[in-house]
Amino acid sequence: MSGAVGREAVFPTRQSLGLMKSKLKGAEIGHSLLKRKSEALTKRFREITRRIDEAKQKMGRVMQIAAFSLAEVSYAVGGEIGYQVQESAKQARFRVRAKQENVSGVFLPHFESYTEDSINDFGLTGLGKGGQQVQRCRETYARAVETLVELASLQTAFVILDEVIKVVNRRVNAIEHVIIPRTENTIKYINSELDELDREEFYRLKKVSNKKQEDTAAADREIQAAREREAEKQLTSGKEKEAKEKETPDVPDVLGEQEDTDVIF
Amino acid sequence: MEGLFFNVNNGYIEGIVRGYRNSLLNGQHYSNLTQCETIDDVKLQLAPAYGDFLGALPPNPSTSALAGKMTDKLVAEFRYLLAQATGSTARFLQFLTYGYMIDNIALLITGTLHERDTRELLQRCHPLGWFETLPVLCVATNIEELYNSVLVETPLAGYFKSSLNHQDLDELNIEIVRNTLYKNYLEDFYRFVTTDPDFKGTPTQEVMAEILEFEADRRAINITLNSFGTELSKQERRKLYPEFGKLYPEGSLMLSRADDIEAVALAVSVSSDYKAFFDAVGLTQGGGGLGGMGGSSDGKSLEDLFYQKEMDMSKIVFTRQFTPAVVYAWMRLKEQEIRNVTWISECIAQNQKERIGNFISVF
Repeated sequence: MSGAVGREAVFPTRQSLGLMKSKLKGAEIGHSLLKRKSEALTKRFREITRRIDEAKQKMGRVMQIAAFSLAEVSYAVGGEIGYQVQESAKQARFRVRAKQENVSGVFLPHFESYTEDSINDFGLTGLGKGGQQVQRCRETYARAVETLVELASLQTAFVILDEVIKVVNRRVNAIEHVIIPRTENTIKYINSELDELDREEFYRLKKVSNKKQEDTAAADREIQAAREREAEKQLTSGKEKEAKEKETPDVPDVLGEQEDTDVIF
Repeated sequence: MEGLFFNVNNGYIEGIVRGYRNSLLNGQHYSNLTQCETIDDVKLQLAPAYGDFLGALPPNPSTSALAGKMTDKLVAEFRYLLAQATGSTARFLQFLTYGYMIDNIALLITGTLHERDTRELLQRCHPLGWFETLPVLCVATNIEELYNSVLVETPLAGYFKSSLNHQDLDELNIEIVRNTLYKNYLEDFYRFVTTDPDFKGTPTQEVMAEILEFEADRRAINITLNSFGTELSKQERRKLYPEFGKLYPEGSLMLSRADDIEAVALAVSVSSDYKAFFDAVGLTQGGGGLGGMGGSSDGKSLEDLFYQKEMDMSKIVFTRQFTPAVVYAWMRLKEQEIRNVTWISECIAQNQKERIGNFISVF
């Protein structure tokens, strides 16, 4: 896996090495945070799945009871009341409030149902006969709708959480399997390149110092030869020249040092 | 004496109705129906009684479609009777349709108030409550027009005139309008059967007065019970009570003052029948409350008992002769039968067999 991810296109310098190292550290922190988030979300997700299952089973029961109570109404009233109820209902008695719930940074909508007891639009339906059945049927259906609302908020949360968990998991995996290995690869690459440079440097330094030693040796020999010649001449020339020759060995040393610094940088 | 000339004009109708009565489902049929597994089985069981009316239904029809077809049969049979009737019998039969007319008009008024396309409302009207000027109601676009030009043409005009004006139609709850009309209708019907020279002193007066009184009391009790917890004031409530019946006037007065079920039970205690009903459903104990009203698991609800009583009365009507009241009784029995079948098929469709026996069978 890590072999396939390659590395980032950076110049192998110490600066980018530092950059990469901090990036790796960030990625690891981010990874652990996201992992924790994903776990929290998954826990929540499982809980919601369980509650959806419960709510659905409850809905099945409640809807059955509700449908049956409607049958009771049609038996008691002996006719259709649907149209009348439809027409006389002007305001919603059963209402839904939407809230937001924050689960580790994800906003889940939460629907809350409540009944406006003052609104009783078709309270007189079935006044002549079947009124009680109508009211009871309404209560049963209100309970059924309550279950539906609960289910709706769970389902919405389910869908949103599903989406978010997918995204988070994708990020976790991306960090774990792509970003971290790639950064590690890059660091490895930079390190190896730097080592390479170091070795080259070392080699060159060795070469340079060899050369310098040769040069010094040659110079020494020359000096030696010159001294020998000088010694011969000394016999002939005066003490002033001797002083001059003492300064000359200093000059090549200074030059050598200057050459060294040039080579390094 | 009254039997001497009755058959000259009405014998045929009575004969026909007694024939119809024999085709009503009996206990055997019902027990067969409750054994059914699917709606198709129900359809099959109903085939002898309803025959070709159910033929057009698709396989596994909805319960409402089934009920619709059964109602069609009732309507067809009633129309035949109506076509055969003459004189005061015809008027009597027309009175039977007024109840449905009230429902239809209430439907149309609701539709007009909400500016619906009244044409589609006509589809929903009960066919028995159909009268010639009913489609004209669709012409009216606002409630004042509806009242001034259209409602006065209907057979129900008298019921409107005496107690409602067009402002009421606009402001009052349609249920109150409907119940006011129904009250006026019941009173008118009662007056008709007790004072019409053709019916006065005949079994018709005797039988119908009893049935209508029961109907009036039932409405009064139901309205009282159903109005608890609504915005209906006691004054308004009182206006909805029919002004006859066993409970009128003392019981009605007490009902109009009733605040809870116990007060209602006290008000109806003047009549032993109703007292027995209230005792049966346990409303007098006070513990029952509204919750126990809709019929707990085993017991019957008050409405069930009222239906039961109505059916018993209707059944007894067939022991009398020389009266069009049998038509009324037959219609009530038939309606109950439709409700029963709807209930049974509903129970079958929803797989709730445990309460399938909760219907009322009288034969």
